[in-house]
Amino acid sequence: MLNVTNRYPGETRWKGWLYLLPTLLVYLVFTFLPILETIRTSFYQWDGFSQNRVWIGIANYVEVFSDPKFLNALRNNLVFVIFYSIIPILIGLFLASLLSRRPIPGFAFFRTALFLPQVISMVVVGVIWRWMFNPTFGPINTLLRLVGLNKFAISWLGDFTWALPAVGSIGTWVQYGFCMVLFLAGMQHIQDEYYEAASLDGAGAFQQFIHITVPGLRAEIAVALVTTIIAALRVFDLVYTTTRGGPGESTMVTGFLIYRAAFTTNRIGYAAAIATVLTVIILAISLVIRRFQRTGGEENA
Amino acid sequence: MKKRSIILSVSLALMIVLSSCAKLATPEDQTPATGSGEQTLLVWDQFYRDEESKVIETLNAEFEAAHPGVKIQREVKVLEDLKATVKLALASSDGPDVAQVNQGRNDMGALVEAGLLSPLNTYLEKYNWSSVFSTSVASRNSFTEDGKTFGTGNLYGVSPTAEVVGVFYNKDIFRKNGWDVPTTFEDFETLLADIKEAGITPISFGSLDGWNAIHEFSAIQHLLVSLDYINNLTYGVNNVSFDTPENVQAAQILQDWANAGYFSEGFPGIGYDDSNNLFKAGTGAMTITGSWLAPELLVDTDQEFGFFLLPPYQGKSGLAIGGVGIPFAIRKTSEKQDLAAEYLNWMISPRAAELWAEAGMLPAMALPADSKLDTANLFGDTLNAWNTINQGNAVGHYIDWATPTFYDTLVAELQKLLGGISTPANLTEAVEVDYSAYLQSMSK
Repeated sequence: MLNVTNRYPGETRWKGWLYLLPTLLVYLVFTFLPILETIRTSFYQWDGFSQNRVWIGIANYVEVFSDPKFLNALRNNLVFVIFYSIIPILIGLFLASLLSRRPIPGFAFFRTALFLPQVISMVVVGVIWRWMFNPTFGPINTLLRLVGLNKFAISWLGDFTWALPAVGSIGTWVQYGFCMVLFLAGMQHIQDEYYEAASLDGAGAFQQFIHITVPGLRAEIAVALVTTIIAALRVFDLVYTTTRGGPGESTMVTGFLIYRAAFTTNRIGYAAAIATVLTVIILAISLVIRRFQRTGGEENA
Repeated sequence: MKKRSIILSVSLALMIVLSSCAKLATPEDQTPATGSGEQTLLVWDQFYRDEESKVIETLNAEFEAAHPGVKIQREVKVLEDLKATVKLALASSDGPDVAQVNQGRNDMGALVEAGLLSPLNTYLEKYNWSSVFSTSVASRNSFTEDGKTFGTGNLYGVSPTAEVVGVFYNKDIFRKNGWDVPTTFEDFETLLADIKEAGITPISFGSLDGWNAIHEFSAIQHLLVSLDYINNLTYGVNNVSFDTPENVQAAQILQDWANAGYFSEGFPGIGYDDSNNLFKAGTGAMTITGSWLAPELLVDTDQEFGFFLLPPYQGKSGLAIGGVGIPFAIRKTSEKQDLAAEYLNWMISPRAAELWAEAGMLPAMALPADSKLDTANLFGDTLNAWNTINQGNAVGHYIDWATPTFYDTLVAELQKLLGGISTPANLTEAVEVDYSAYLQSMSK
């Protein structure tokens, strides 16, 4: 990694490693070793605290893939991807192009205000939105009743049809500001000449958006996709603070299943197996997106 | 070059790991030097609410005063937090000497199975605890030595407080409308219809958090089944089934109430605390929950509340969900077994009963004979209810103890039932699948 020719005479390579060491150690002790330990645990039947730990091979994995609760939770996670990733990216693209093309008064204020949800702790977000969605005194239903839409003032988080979209839309609220700021930064790199040339050629705002802005933001879109999809797949806190997976199993996600297996039913091995499967899925999706980004980049060049 | 750097980083990693191991050993050094006769008892409890915490602080101070040289080091945790951390702590040699351990298979059962709790049978005799609590109460804190069978075998904990699930009602609303406390289940259902017709929410309820839906269902179930059945079901003995006509009927009644609009509007989206706050603020004539809510309803409100047991169904025995609170247990590897037992005995003393009662909490022990406590209030109502079921041998169970997954299964199925997307028969069948699978796994 280090560029050998740029070394000062007498400077040795290990000095570079020395700078890396603190981070490397923290990473090793707090990330890498726990991951290995989790994978190892997933081959055992273990309650997490007793001496009684039994090697059961891949039995936990067999159970994961034949557990309808896991498959249902995974499906809900994929629905979360729409709300955590797809919709925020679309909103982010729209807002970014709106804010970047022509100067509007209060630009800095809007940028900060729209980004704000991103910096609030997820637990706080969950508590706030649980209140927002409260059917009796929550602002959403109060507003709906005020404008005469009593029919739509439903029990959002307790409704079998609407609970998942309701919790998902909280994710949208959290993520779109991040996407927008990311895209705004990316747009700084797109040269104005492209837009000028395009408008001379008679391209409208929408065509410019499709043919200049979106391709120009390929790298940023990939970053947004990876981070938001990961957030969607490992969601736990939001579900824990709003619906606890209910009603029924309609908002159950894999993160919550892991928590339940580990802390309420004392099945650390099974929890570790679900966690490992989830990690592999997240890694695979991230790799696919990276691959897309790279091949796309080459085409552009 | 590369090799050396790897060796370097590995050795540094080792150093960090080793130094953190060394740190793990230090807490013992931090405790004050234990001179001759001086002992520190480390106690974990979950009485974090103000009123409860004061009771424990007082009891601890009086215990220290009565035992010169003994210091109690208290650590308070919220129940969820305690449940998640106490198992590892009890497995460690410098863990708490005394800790509150939740009842049921997943908590106390798992700890007994792992050999981490001291059996209390010798102390049961020494302190004559059988005069303090009945065998039915003792069963709730008992397991066989292998941790497999619940309700028999050794005693592993003693509970200071008692609980009974019944009906809180708003006395002002009842008075204004001329309603009386019902004495039969039929009267109760008539009352529900009357309240609804008066434009008031009959039962303040929210099922968003899930767990309290189990209480709504099981409170009705307790009116229909026998004590033997509920004991067998909870302790997993005598091969009973969940799929019974009584359980179907209980589910049917619950669903009928939901369909008739007897619960708070939008109840599936309302949490437990929110529904209690609404009730406390005067919306809703009644709410069905445990006596633990009483202390909260006694303060910061201009409404007056009362409590009664869900009235018996005709020709049935009229059980109520109830039991004793989370028990104190002793870590098996503690070197202060006798002192710890002395502490447990103090936690269930008449003095403790008095302090709990003053705080508005039901004590599991009898109050001292000379107690001058005012019982002409909500606390008196809950005390009456507890005495009624305790003396009438009608103390039921929290059925979610029955299997490790029962809680999750019941919550999910009850939410489906209340949401109208499943039938009472669907519910009992689905829960029976969980239950019979567990019985089968136990008999292996």
